Amino acid sequence: MSDDIILDIRNVTKQFPGVTALSDVSLQIKRGEIHGLCGENGAGKSTLMKILSGVYPFGTYEGTILYEGQELRLGEGSIQEAIKKGIAIVYQELTLVPNMNVGENVYLGKEPTENGSINWNKLYSDTRDILQRYNLDVDPQTPVKDLGVGKQQMVEIAKALSENAKILILDEPTSALSEAEIASLMDILRSLKSHGVTCIYITHKLDEFFRITDTVTVLRDGKTVVTKPTSELNQQQLVSYMVGREMKERFPKGNRKPGDVIFEVEDLHAEDPSDSTRMLLRGVSLNVRQGEILGIAGLMGSGRTELVTTIFGEYGKVVKGTIKVQNRELKINSARDAMQFGISLVPEDRKRLGLVLIQSILKNISLPNLDRFASFFRINADEELAAANQQARNLAIKAPHMEVAAETLSGGNQQKVVIAKWLLSNPKVLILDDPTRGIDVGAKYEIYKLMNELAEQGVAIIMISSDLEEVLGMSDRVMVMCEGRSSPILELADATQEHIMKLATGIA
Amino acid sequence: MAVASDKKVPSAGAGLMETLSKRVRQNIQTYTIILALIVIWILFTVLTKGAFMTPQNFSNLFRQMTVTSFLAIGMVLVIVTGGIDLSVGKAAGFVSVICAFLQARFWVDTMPISNPYLMAAASVLVGLLVGTAWGAAQGALIAYLRIPPFIATLGGLFIARGLILWRTEGKTIPANQVGFSYIAQGYLSDWIGWVLAALVVIFLFFNMFSSRSRKVRYGVELPPIAFDLLTTSFFALLVVVYVFMVNRYNGVQVPVALLAVASVIMTYVSNNTRFGRYTYAIGGNREAARLSGIDIKKTLFLVYTLMGFLVGVGGVVLASYVGYGTIAAGEGYELDAIASAILGGTSTLGGVGTVFGALIGALIMSSLSTGLQMMNVAPFVQYLVKGMVLVLAVLLDVSFKKGKA
Repeated sequence: MSDDIILDIRNVTKQFPGVTALSDVSLQIKRGEIHGLCGENGAGKSTLMKILSGVYPFGTYEGTILYEGQELRLGEGSIQEAIKKGIAIVYQELTLVPNMNVGENVYLGKEPTENGSINWNKLYSDTRDILQRYNLDVDPQTPVKDLGVGKQQMVEIAKALSENAKILILDEPTSALSEAEIASLMDILRSLKSHGVTCIYITHKLDEFFRITDTVTVLRDGKTVVTKPTSELNQQQLVSYMVGREMKERFPKGNRKPGDVIFEVEDLHAEDPSDSTRMLLRGVSLNVRQGEILGIAGLMGSGRTELVTTIFGEYGKVVKGTIKVQNRELKINSARDAMQFGISLVPEDRKRLGLVLIQSILKNISLPNLDRFASFFRINADEELAAANQQARNLAIKAPHMEVAAETLSGGNQQKVVIAKWLLSNPKVLILDDPTRGIDVGAKYEIYKLMNELAEQGVAIIMISSDLEEVLGMSDRVMVMCEGRSSPILELADATQEHIMKLATGIA
Repeated sequence: MAVASDKKVPSAGAGLMETLSKRVRQNIQTYTIILALIVIWILFTVLTKGAFMTPQNFSNLFRQMTVTSFLAIGMVLVIVTGGIDLSVGKAAGFVSVICAFLQARFWVDTMPISNPYLMAAASVLVGLLVGTAWGAAQGALIAYLRIPPFIATLGGLFIARGLILWRTEGKTIPANQVGFSYIAQGYLSDWIGWVLAALVVIFLFFNMFSSRSRKVRYGVELPPIAFDLLTTSFFALLVVVYVFMVNRYNGVQVPVALLAVASVIMTYVSNNTRFGRYTYAIGGNREAARLSGIDIKKTLFLVYTLMGFLVGVGGVVLASYVGYGTIAAGEGYELDAIASAILGGTSTLGGVGTVFGALIGALIMSSLSTGLQMMNVAPFVQYLVKGMVLVLAVLLDVSFKKGKA
């Protein structure tokens, strides 16, 4: 039994000033298994991984870690040391150099040399070997920037494997991937497993644990709650282990009473503004009623984000079709236009598109709304603060005060700030692009509740989501995007996961 | 204060020293460069056996920094957007040459009445217009035609050089007429200085109390009154000491008074107007700003146009200060302006920077020049010292930020 334990974490405690990030965590990982690590944001997953990868060196934590039967003692600045020992980590954010090609990236910092100069032939042939061994279908000489996110993720994995990793840690590898890309990532993981590589797999998407892992460990508040074979668990149990209470439903039931159609898109065609041969949208029609949530499903690259950014006047160039708010046909050329017509967009990727991270919560919330508080000469600071405070209170943003920089907040609270800034503009139509991506279960629940409240107040909501269950759990009606086209709108009763997947993959 | 208060009241628990140390930690950079300035002053006073702090030298020190300061307070906003303006030195030089040319040659033939004050006013007006147009042209290139700021303004730098050479024909043009000289060489009489000081002090305290009452109304955490009184009194004292010092020489310098007005307006614009907010938001995250409905092109255009206006002001003051227009006018001022903004905490990554910081930065640069000159240090050493101070300041800043993370 104990022989095939590759990693034995015993009673590890890690403290930061004022916070205990890990308290007495014990965890055994068997050789060759895929071990899922599950927990809300702040449960201690990242801290644990940072200890394993040497970011927090030996001595800064209590407890022992046995790796291959030996105590793991990584010194200061020892990320390289961990890699040499065979512990590799693939981070959530990709760390590739876009202008370099695949081979250069894989061997960055460890280029094979001959008499002091780089042996390019060896570099490329070695890269090809690694890629082939794990069925990664990428050409070593392609520049990374020309690859899709999914392929980039694979390159990232290849980079980790190039050091003969024994343990591969994947930290939310699928958060940016489409369903098809996730499927091929899963294949790669299975192939790694058959080569005897052990994986630690961290994700927020619960269904992935059941697709790929052998064992799951749940962390909560820095403690191990349970370690169980995946086959003995179900999603419901997993959620209740994570939040520590019985969570009957992931999606709160709203009391929504949809009214008249307020927003309509008809046969919208749009092209890439910088490349008129590339069509982004090839016929999208939809309508939303007041007080309703319309879910938009679709794979990455199906045109869902392009659809909402085009509606918002900030990306695609409309070549055909109409957009109507309250039966009035509109021309929207910029975000400013859209806002004036009562349309708000909570964009995907809150850090890149939603927030000015270095600025305060206050300034972020008021940014699109300054016209309301300002004359030509001055911003009425009192009104601004009062309005932002009100929003922060309604959304229960957890922060000591409004002057805190947005970058210091947790993912869930950051998303609330983005939503707050758009709610303050009193939208009639609120578009949410993947609003719960990368935030924990508790914060997701709060955002769902908020969406219900808004719909009850009569706001028409369009929600894009990569999470099918979320689409089905929250929407009144569902539309599916595939290759720039929209499906007919489905009533919830007709929308099953299977049916949606068929529409999304173009089978139906 | 804190001792007398009831211990059960939690808000009184945050004592004076605690608040003070918290504020210092929060604004470590600002305090560091203020401290650096004080250290530099003390150092030079000791090294020059007191000559550095004589009323005359003190007065000149401030008068000397004004031209680059006008450029620096505009440069802050430019750098905050993530841009740069390399043309400001020579463009201000061009404005100064234009002013000199108008004074010496043009008005005499064209103006029906030959009144020196009228001529001066007309020169100033044209100078400001030329500067603003200069900025607007660069702004249009950068914002609407998408030329990178570095390139657009590098081109501007060459063009300004050419224009100066064309207008001066390589000669020196005098600009020392009565009314015009007053702009950079004039002094306010003692009593006006004191009235101004009194007004500023009253304003400081008024502002403090109204800010406190606003905070109470919105339930924002209030610093202990002792803290606010202390800091406000400190700034009030600075104003009083300043006026006292300069009154012992000739009085408040006109260009410094102009700079103070410009700085107050620029601070106000950057903090309390939509334009200011948009500028910082664009520098902080251009994409998020765009999706928030901000007209990025218009904002950038206005930033460079405003910079141009300040180039105009700087150029006018420059002409009046040196008393003539020459080919060398404004040479290298852009680098002093950029260095001042950066010393004052403006981040070249964009999104961060204050007008007040840039002023302190400019004061440090000017103090270094004056002090080293008074010590009869060779000019090359002055450059070495300035360069090292700039890099050292950024190095300190980087290590502070590392400590925080």
